[in-house]
Amino acid sequence: MAEARALRWRVAAEWPPTLQRLVWVIIALTLSVLPHAAHIRPWIMLLAAGAAALRLAIEVKHWQLPPKWLRGVLAFVAFLAVVLDYRTLNGIDAGTALLVVMAGMKLMETRTVRDLTVIVFLSYFALFAAFLYNQSLLTLPYMLVTAWLLTVTLMRIHQTTTSMSVREAAGITGKMFAQALPLAILLFLLFPRLPGQFWAVVPPRGAATTGLSDEMSPGDVSDLSVSGELAFRAKFASALPPARELYWRGPVMHEFDGRTWRQRRTPFMPQEVTAVGTTYRYEVMLEPHQRRWIFALDVATDWPQRRVIRASDLQLWSDAPISTLSSFRLESATAYAVSGPLPKAMRDADLRLPGGRNERSIALAREMRERAGSDQAFVAAVLAKFRDEEYFYTLEPPRLDLNSVDDFLFNTRRGFCEHFASAFTMLARAAGIPARVVTGYQGGELNPMSGYLLIRQSEAHAWSEVWLEGRGWVRVDPTAAVAPERIERGLDAALTEGGESLPGSFLRRNALLTQVRLAWDAANTFWNNQVVAFGEAQQRWLLERLNIGDADWEELGLALVLALVAFFAVMSAYLAWRFRPRARDPLAQIYEQLCRKLARRGLPRAAHEGPSDYVARVVQARPELSHHLLEARNLYVALRYGPRSWGPQLNRSELSRLKFIVNQLKV
Amino acid sequence: MLARALAALRRKTRTWARKRHGIDSDPLILSGRRIYIVPSSLGIAFSLMLFAMFLGAMNYANNLALGLTFMLGALALTAMHYCHRNLAGLHIRSAAREPVFAGQTARFRIALENDAKVARYELTIANEHGIANPVRVEAGARVVLDLEVPAPHRGLLRLDSFEITTRHPFGMFRAWAYLNMDLRCVVYPKPSPRGLPPPPLETDTGGAQDATRGDEDFAGLRAFHPGDSPRRIAWKAYAREQGLHVKVYAGTAVTSHSFDWDALTGLGAEARLSQLCRWIEDAHAAGRAFGLRMPGVEIAPNVGPGHRQRCLTALALFDEQAAHG
Repeated sequence: MAEARALRWRVAAEWPPTLQRLVWVIIALTLSVLPHAAHIRPWIMLLAAGAAALRLAIEVKHWQLPPKWLRGVLAFVAFLAVVLDYRTLNGIDAGTALLVVMAGMKLMETRTVRDLTVIVFLSYFALFAAFLYNQSLLTLPYMLVTAWLLTVTLMRIHQTTTSMSVREAAGITGKMFAQALPLAILLFLLFPRLPGQFWAVVPPRGAATTGLSDEMSPGDVSDLSVSGELAFRAKFASALPPARELYWRGPVMHEFDGRTWRQRRTPFMPQEVTAVGTTYRYEVMLEPHQRRWIFALDVATDWPQRRVIRASDLQLWSDAPISTLSSFRLESATAYAVSGPLPKAMRDADLRLPGGRNERSIALAREMRERAGSDQAFVAAVLAKFRDEEYFYTLEPPRLDLNSVDDFLFNTRRGFCEHFASAFTMLARAAGIPARVVTGYQGGELNPMSGYLLIRQSEAHAWSEVWLEGRGWVRVDPTAAVAPERIERGLDAALTEGGESLPGSFLRRNALLTQVRLAWDAANTFWNNQVVAFGEAQQRWLLERLNIGDADWEELGLALVLALVAFFAVMSAYLAWRFRPRARDPLAQIYEQLCRKLARRGLPRAAHEGPSDYVARVVQARPELSHHLLEARNLYVALRYGPRSWGPQLNRSELSRLKFIVNQLKV
Repeated sequence: MLARALAALRRKTRTWARKRHGIDSDPLILSGRRIYIVPSSLGIAFSLMLFAMFLGAMNYANNLALGLTFMLGALALTAMHYCHRNLAGLHIRSAAREPVFAGQTARFRIALENDAKVARYELTIANEHGIANPVRVEAGARVVLDLEVPAPHRGLLRLDSFEITTRHPFGMFRAWAYLNMDLRCVVYPKPSPRGLPPPPLETDTGGAQDATRGDEDFAGLRAFHPGDSPRRIAWKAYAREQGLHVKVYAGTAVTSHSFDWDALTGLGAEARLSQLCRWIEDAHAAGRAFGLRMPGVEIAPNVGPGHRQRCLTALALFDEQAAHG
């Protein structure tokens, strides 16, 4: 097995150089396009792979390259296909697709080193585009190794007549990377960052699939797949709120058609809100989710006014979609009071029920309201019903029919937070209590190493808010009535009771693995905070640390120029040292000095003359020097040709005597 | 259009560099100050790509993409230093040049010596007539490169100036130095086509110039030296117990051509030189002795490659005005 592999490698080493180059370039291109496999259309990958295979076959079988007109037609058709498929050339998706198609088409016509170089350049660009999709710490090593490999390939294809071993090329390029790194870091730290985009582009498509949705229809879901993916992180300036108060408000739903809850397009009149109890200062750091929602602890009381607005239903909206890792400093309260009456538009919206749907439930609600006597008692009665009767919390509920609430309440009786929130809200509306569904996240896991609270997609939640006269909006979580563990201890606990399990729950229970996981997350947090989210604020902080407070553009520019100059100076000095001539033989140096001195007097040594002939000729011309010259010659000849004429045994005293004579020689 | 403008620019810079540096010494150590460096077209393409990457990274505020862009930019600048240093400190020395006939291609041989502890890559020399294949010079090694220059006329062909260039490591930069080492190559006249028969052989039976040559007349005996041919040993004398002696012949009849400028009446100077060249080549190939007589030049009959070279060089460097004036 090992022998066979060694044989194969030997065969590979004997491939003709053009084939070797081609194979290397194709491998490098493949590695840099691979990260795009998840979000690029399969036909594009197939097209590029086909082009690569065809080109390899041409090389191996010595076929002709396809004629120029055919390549032109193919390239045009491929271009057209991309435009028709993506409907645009703007944005990362279409751009990446076009890049891969172009690389494939270029591969078909590669003949010269220049063509190969262009493909390596396109590969660099593909790597760059991959970063636009994914900036995680996990993929970084892969990207770095691929960039290095691309550079090794670039160096090797430029050895035109002699070939360079992979090891040698890897060594040189590795060294070059190490030397370029300080400059790259300085540029990264010092280059002024611009706030916001200056060219509006289509957000990448693959990125919009996770996270909350802007509508909720519990009856459609028969198997809620729960992802352990991170939604956002939060860091509190002081103590953490208790776990049962960790309600992170997301989209608030008002419109109900009997089956699906939706957000409202038109805003309401805003209400005056005052915090009740403790307020918490914290920072949320949102993973990109391509929506404008900002998840804040129940009700935000302070937020960056410039970029963020708070809607009348208390949801926070960013002014632009969250397409990169973004952080916001917020202040929140977990309870709040609303002064003044409910505006009529909001009351109407939050009481509206579709006609002719869920009629059994509506009748039940009216009956319960009459029996309860007050709104508050009604709410308690509904929660008691969920708690005491046969209702079950599960992530695999049966599908519901058109009258979803009727079906759930009287028939299936199984569901997760969305079912309970939907049913509860509808019952409240039927009883004449204004109510709305709030979606968002509940809970979070504290990472003690970084001090961050991690909120995952699996913590997505839905609950209700009802308007109680005299108290204002009150949060009611019907899921808490059915599965209190869900709220107190998280989803894992809620499911264990019912014999279900979450993917990855094993990881969460094992203590050692938990440590590893949390350490990894701390590293990720550092990475996200310090590198991925590095921006104007961090730059300013860094410069203040370096005692350059209040740096402006000119100063940053000056610092950049200084960094470049320093880089040039260091690089030149280092390379001059690396390429310095080998250490010279001290004896030869002294002899050369002597020859130079005599040459300046018009007596240069002829190329054929040895020391004896030369000195004899000089002595004839300048008899007054004969004493010194003859001694110098004797010393030189003895040192050079004598018994111990080389290395450390060289007679030091004779050498210094010779040096002295040559220095003393006045010509 | 652009190509022509570039060629003109190249000629201009070359003459300017020649004025600036003068004639170079023969073993020459290339100093960093005379090395020029510009981005190649690939380098310009790379920088455009980096600019596009930079715009994209800034637009998406994507720090890793920006980091990659800066990394590649810094790498390109590092490559620029490597490219420059790949030439700086190189020793350049001219090697012997083989004379050629007019109409052939003269080959100037340039030795590149690397006395650094690291190898130098992709070095090549070029002039307006062509470019040598790039070579790699290992640490402490020497490589000889050929630079071909067409030699249309007889005389001394000067290598006007040439460039030593490299594109190592990534082909993004081209570093070069103009060199003007005043190298010359002798160009013999083009031999005329065979036609005119050479002058007849002259036999010189007079006083022998060389006792070791010829085998006509017996001249006596001398003592044997190791290395003498056994066929020349005087066995009869040895049998008479007179010791080991060798027979010596002298008064050898030497036949040789005498190629005379004045014999070629009715031809122009260049035609005469071509004809003489043809005769010399033929006589040399046949192993016959020949002498050469021209205005101001008198070369006694002889044989051998050294003699041929002397005669042909005399033809190559013949200056009619100087000879008559």
